[in-house]
Amino acid sequence: MTQQFGDAVNSKVIMMIGANSAVANPIGFKHFLQAKDRNGTKLIVVDPIYTKSAAKADLYLRIRSGTDIAFVYGMLHIIFKNGWEDKEFIDTRSYAMDQIRAEAAKWTPELTSDVTGIPVEQIIQATTLFAQNTPSAIAWSLGITQHSVGSSNTRILPVLQIALGNMGKKGGGLYIIRGHDNVQGATDMGNLADSLSGYYGLADPAWKYFAESWGVDYEWLKGRFFDKKWMNEPGFSLAKWWQGVLQEEKTYSSSPIRAVWIQGTGITSMSQQAKIKEALDKVDLVVIAEPFVNEAAVLTSRKDGIYILPVATQFESEGTVTATNRSSQWRSKVVEPLYESKADEEVMFLFAKKFGFYDQYVQGMKMDIKDGKVVKVKDDFKWPDDAVREIARTIKSIGLSGWTPERLRKHQENWHMFDPVTLEGKGEMKGQYYGLPWPCWDDKHPGSPILYRRDVPVAEGGMGFRNRFGLEHNGVSQLADKSVTVAGSKVEGGYPQLTKENIEKVLSITLSEDEKAQMGVNWMMDFSGIIQKKAREAGVCVYGNAKARTIVWEFPDPVPLHREPLHSPRWDLVAKYPTYEDQPKNFRVEVKFKSEQQKQDWSKDFPTMLVSMRVVNLSGAGMLERTSKYLSAITPEMFANIHPDLALSHGIKDRDMMWIHAPHGTKIKVKAYHNHSVTPDRICMPYNFAGVFQGIDLSANYPEGTKPYAIGESSNTITNYGFDVITQISEFNAGLCRVEKA
Amino acid sequence: MSNEMSRMKFFCDDHRCIECFACSVGCAEAHELPTGISRRKVITLHDGVEGKEVSTSIACMHCTDAPCEQVCPVDCFYIREDGIVLHDKNKCIGCGYCLYACPFGAPQFPRDGAFGAKGAMDKCTMCAGGPLETNSEKERHLYGQNRIAEGKVPMCAAVCSTNALLVGDAESVSAIYRKRVAGRGKGA
Repeated sequence: MTQQFGDAVNSKVIMMIGANSAVANPIGFKHFLQAKDRNGTKLIVVDPIYTKSAAKADLYLRIRSGTDIAFVYGMLHIIFKNGWEDKEFIDTRSYAMDQIRAEAAKWTPELTSDVTGIPVEQIIQATTLFAQNTPSAIAWSLGITQHSVGSSNTRILPVLQIALGNMGKKGGGLYIIRGHDNVQGATDMGNLADSLSGYYGLADPAWKYFAESWGVDYEWLKGRFFDKKWMNEPGFSLAKWWQGVLQEEKTYSSSPIRAVWIQGTGITSMSQQAKIKEALDKVDLVVIAEPFVNEAAVLTSRKDGIYILPVATQFESEGTVTATNRSSQWRSKVVEPLYESKADEEVMFLFAKKFGFYDQYVQGMKMDIKDGKVVKVKDDFKWPDDAVREIARTIKSIGLSGWTPERLRKHQENWHMFDPVTLEGKGEMKGQYYGLPWPCWDDKHPGSPILYRRDVPVAEGGMGFRNRFGLEHNGVSQLADKSVTVAGSKVEGGYPQLTKENIEKVLSITLSEDEKAQMGVNWMMDFSGIIQKKAREAGVCVYGNAKARTIVWEFPDPVPLHREPLHSPRWDLVAKYPTYEDQPKNFRVEVKFKSEQQKQDWSKDFPTMLVSMRVVNLSGAGMLERTSKYLSAITPEMFANIHPDLALSHGIKDRDMMWIHAPHGTKIKVKAYHNHSVTPDRICMPYNFAGVFQGIDLSANYPEGTKPYAIGESSNTITNYGFDVITQISEFNAGLCRVEKA
Repeated sequence: MSNEMSRMKFFCDDHRCIECFACSVGCAEAHELPTGISRRKVITLHDGVEGKEVSTSIACMHCTDAPCEQVCPVDCFYIREDGIVLHDKNKCIGCGYCLYACPFGAPQFPRDGAFGAKGAMDKCTMCAGGPLETNSEKERHLYGQNRIAEGKVPMCAAVCSTNALLVGDAESVSAIYRKRVAGRGKGA
């Protein structure tokens, strides 16, 4: 997120869309409630269901799921028509807003209302409130990302904030709320199939840079791959790894996937449960390394070739985690791992030893920088301190250079010296923000609690937009206007990201021969730190000062477009707003779009919209929380919220069991809870259960003594087929189904 | 802070309560309660009804003029100087009069004995234990933690995710709530 939660108190309006923080992130939601109490902040909630967050809203808009882009264009239409946009911001700090304006012109309130299901007057009311009371902020979460158009969703909301000049200021920005503990940290560390840590990608320069930092030979790394080409290609994604086993759709790999190692993820909280089960049954080996029995072990019916390794909890290990606001926090070990369980890193060290690459695996923790080069400085390492040092030395792309173990420990030990609302330090901690929210450019930097502020010097957490996409596009400069000078900068207006080649010219300095010899090729790959040092002296941000682009020319939709979900309840709109062409290859597998969407009018046989939700007492697949009797007692059984009118038309009484059928032929049996949070055209259910599969109780599959207090059908058994066109995240939030009395 | 003798009170701000159950789960964990016993309950009215839904958390309200104390036939209740209403489980006969008298449904009765026979009543102690020796094993076993004796906030309010549940001297609680109402311009 661009802000930190405490900043909510500076917003006049906060719009939550595709987020239900009251349930998913209660402590974060407190800040929004606090803002209402302290500043009279108005809260708008846009959601397909009347959520617990909606219950606290000043204005609630019931949107049809999967129509967020249409809704935001509806807002932009009204904003541009009334001249409520921030013209100066658009002209000086953004690129291609004219193309957005052209698309917005189509989305009259009447059309927007027809597509989204939100009444015209509510669209106008919400837009007026949001646009006329700046600074205003947007909060979103998985309701925005988990769609076949998720990547466009995540672009249109920042575009709205740019249009209103709501970026880079207190009270504005975007609260992109992560779903679980350390999701931000896991993403930053590149626990993904398509990038090395720190978003460096998979191209050769990135591999070579990491090889240097890790103290290993690039050729050795290359030799670990079956073929060089796989080194530079994304692997299978978490959403569709099972196709690598089953190979029903075309896949691209040197061999089918033969073994699955599951550590720190609930794969039953992914869609296509039936396919995941098939794949788990088919592979040669399944290893599950978790503190609790992962539901994957229960879903599969295999009798051998499956191992469950006990891994320690957070209380039995030490290290850093990154919060949703980009702050890092040191975590201390409370007790040694109990019984035979081992900390995550211990498991990985043993793995590396067994497979013969332990020395290379830990080499990076014995390295440090001397005279601008990475060299071995000791024979042993200290966990986790040396791992944190390795991260600080390597990950410059998002500015982790200032995250030394010494500083982060000191922050944790001195909580009482930080303001809980502004994160500002006091006393000895003066001049630093709690957890050094990244970018934290060097070991003197205080962290950046709010991104893109030009009224604050870089050395105090300010910056322009990043220059990431070249200097020009279609002949237009991508650098910020001359008038956009970041406070304290010696360079006036926009400037490019710093490289060895341009630094002398951009900063009007002359480098010594020694400095030139030590300096890396650009700011992201400069172990010497000289680029950052020179930038600091000039009050300049190493990543440049550019315009925010509102179009993404590499994507299938450079301008975000509304596209109906693959399984749309509005067949009449499918022809007008079709989804993408089928993808021959994304990550390592083909993906159906149009062929699935237009195969038939799905809404005829599956007339009810299917929306997922979370319950406050369970997270993810719920495997941890359902082992607590008190948490299980709150939701002892899997259920779906269904409007009484819909339920009774199928003869389903309150608390009756019902079948829910999905277009791809799967079904689940759950209890029907009559509830008014849903309208008769949709049902809603939590995704936090497992242990029952298509009506069959899997209790017998739990190792003795490990069955949780509450089990139930996983909603993901019926989550419809569909994946984002870029990220391949599953379409969890806009599908269709049919209910039937059980 | 008033110079008067303080009276300890709970107050749940229903503009803040989001039905997260932290208070009731925190209470149950802290005092190791059986699952059938709810010293603190989270209640939502008009669940899912637009514009009407409201959630709150409720337990023993530690009434000034506690009706439970007045109807108890064995006189097992006593009210501390700071206003916390407690009872003696060794005196209680489990008759249930207090439950009928209580406007908040606070008294709880274990029901797992033969024929559902009621045992001694259990209720919120505001984390102040009971008449047995403070912080003794016996006190902890019968009444749960005595956090007040340790100078700690009762567990429920300590873990409230939105600071909806307020506890403390009545005048301080009232001052916090008054400030919130003034800020949001409604809700008293």
